[in-house]
Amino acid sequence: MDNLLIQKFDKVLIANRGEIAVRIQRACHKLGLQTIAVYSDADRNALHVRYADEAYNIGPPPATESYLVIDRLIDVAKKSGAEAVHPGYGFLAERADFAQACYDAGLVFIGPSPKAIAAMGDKQLARQTVRAAGVSVVPGTDPGLSDDELIAAAEKIGFPLLVKAAAGGGGKGMRPVHEAGSLSNALAGARREATAAFGDGTVYLEKMISDARHIEIQVLGDSQGNVIHLGERECSLQRRHQKVIEEAPSFVVDDELRRQMGEVAIAAARAVDYVNAGTVEFLVDRDKNFYFLEMNTRVQVEHPVTELVTGVDIVQEQLRVARGRRLRYLQDQVKLKGWAIECRINAEDPYHDFVPSTGTITAIGLPTGPGIRVDTGLYEGHTVTPYYDSMISKLICYGETRGEAVLRMRRALEEYRIMGVKTNIPFHQHMMESHRFLSGQFDTRFVEERFSMSEREIHDELEAAIFATLVAHQRSQRASQIVAPGERDTSNWKWYTRWERLQR
Amino acid sequence: MKYITTVNGQEYIIEIDQKTEITVNGERHGVDFQQLAESGTLSLLIDNRSLEAIVEEREDAWEVLLHGELYAVHVQDERAYRLAQARGKLSDASEAVVIRSPMPGLILDVLVEEGAHIGQGQTVVILESMKMENELRAGRDGVVTRVHVGKGDSVEKNQELIAIGDAEEIKEQQ
Repeated sequence: MDNLLIQKFDKVLIANRGEIAVRIQRACHKLGLQTIAVYSDADRNALHVRYADEAYNIGPPPATESYLVIDRLIDVAKKSGAEAVHPGYGFLAERADFAQACYDAGLVFIGPSPKAIAAMGDKQLARQTVRAAGVSVVPGTDPGLSDDELIAAAEKIGFPLLVKAAAGGGGKGMRPVHEAGSLSNALAGARREATAAFGDGTVYLEKMISDARHIEIQVLGDSQGNVIHLGERECSLQRRHQKVIEEAPSFVVDDELRRQMGEVAIAAARAVDYVNAGTVEFLVDRDKNFYFLEMNTRVQVEHPVTELVTGVDIVQEQLRVARGRRLRYLQDQVKLKGWAIECRINAEDPYHDFVPSTGTITAIGLPTGPGIRVDTGLYEGHTVTPYYDSMISKLICYGETRGEAVLRMRRALEEYRIMGVKTNIPFHQHMMESHRFLSGQFDTRFVEERFSMSEREIHDELEAAIFATLVAHQRSQRASQIVAPGERDTSNWKWYTRWERLQR
Repeated sequence: MKYITTVNGQEYIIEIDQKTEITVNGERHGVDFQQLAESGTLSLLIDNRSLEAIVEEREDAWEVLLHGELYAVHVQDERAYRLAQARGKLSDASEAVVIRSPMPGLILDVLVEEGAHIGQGQTVVILESMKMENELRAGRDGVVTRVHVGKGDSVEKNQELIAIGDAEEIKEQQ
């Protein structure tokens, strides 16, 4: 029986871009599967296009005209002879209509069933479903209420609370609200952002649990009904509800709590007959009570930290179970070993309110060495555009202990060179030196409320000054050799640039 | 050659007269400075301490990437420095500060009007880019002298959005 299901597909369309598209291609190639890339006009030269077996243009740069257009993706699948579709994360990954369109076109969707996506994507239905399975949830409202109804409901729930997008993920369309007065503005902002990001402006409210940690459990299910969990990820370090640093395991989760949370996560997954990789997110309060937040029905950005501590290649398992194979692991074969930390490298300026930074990458040098993994779509000449997410790379470090992972991360951050856009690498460096981080004393509000870049001490100003002065001096020396001083009608710099052009 | 080099408000006087030695604020250091291939990657041995950096020229400064930090460095030779000083005394303080768009995007809202008194750190414009709303804040106290954009406008990188002047200066003009 198992054999009949093998080789259900040999050609995979990857409906995504950036580092995750490259990550999925690697897993495909490892299993001998051919890869089909899709790209917008902005991504013609991207790594995921160059590393693919075939690549097809799907439209203009805005995602709403390319990566989010279901018909175009299905067309490419048909044209290219793809037999399966991997959605990655973001874009269409959690859209039941996309999964359904794949099934209708006779394609294998590498993820859960449209029904499971819809059940978990509808946050209210998700809450009802898991509550019925005996899982505690955070108090809140139904989605789909009008602003007036939400404002009335807010008073019952109490402040502070969160406005969340029903179709949401990654913090988009989410707003914290601390008093009744600012609720209507937050609703408008969240609806606007959710419409832009997901094409759906539906929002709901949720009580904010204070001193909470965001801890999630990775689950894997196969079509034979086996569901296992791969332990937890600590994702409390967030800015504007976007995770910035994740680690596995968590500082606060012991074996007993892990077993409990794992069981609950599996129960939540089973409640919707879950197949493939998924993540059950929880808030954990100071007394280690945990509340179901939501289930993400896709591979997560931060999946590598789990891969490093369990040894399981999650994307490869996704492909295997989508082909109808059994999971390669039983629950008691999953053992956590060591510690892994991931820093999300974003194109943004950590010294100016994390404003996104765009531009062309002029130089890049990746950190290497034992225990270091870099997942990225970056290359020299790559242009970071305003069309897509500002995350340009993930830097993941492994150590036997948390301390060793942190030391490796410090060294890797120092070694990572990205020139052409500003990055949040200094933020990560500052965090890796923070006492609160080192002692594991943080919650979901730590980054925004108790962590400041202005406290960062920088030590290399003098050295930077020397470098720039030496380069400036060298240039002016060369320029003055070309035209004697006094004879030039313009600055040395201009002369030097002209001279450089002549040399080419 | 004598240079006055500024990083994060700190000035260094750096003299370079020969290949293997420089003087920083009067102190001598041995240097060995190598450029690696075409890229901006540089290797420097300063008193045998080994450092690597990438240095690139931008419109208004040199960018130096060193140990993960990106420094904006202004290098001026003595003559240029003196000229700038002389000019600076005349205009510097009263010059309007312009808030520019850090990236292309869509103006979702302009929260201030011309003539409004604003404080440093106050949000003045909400710009949508990279699928997120970004709050652009005033870098100083002052009075809004010009509003160049309105709700719904598309803006390019570095486009002028808002100009901020000194409260006293505005009064004088009136």
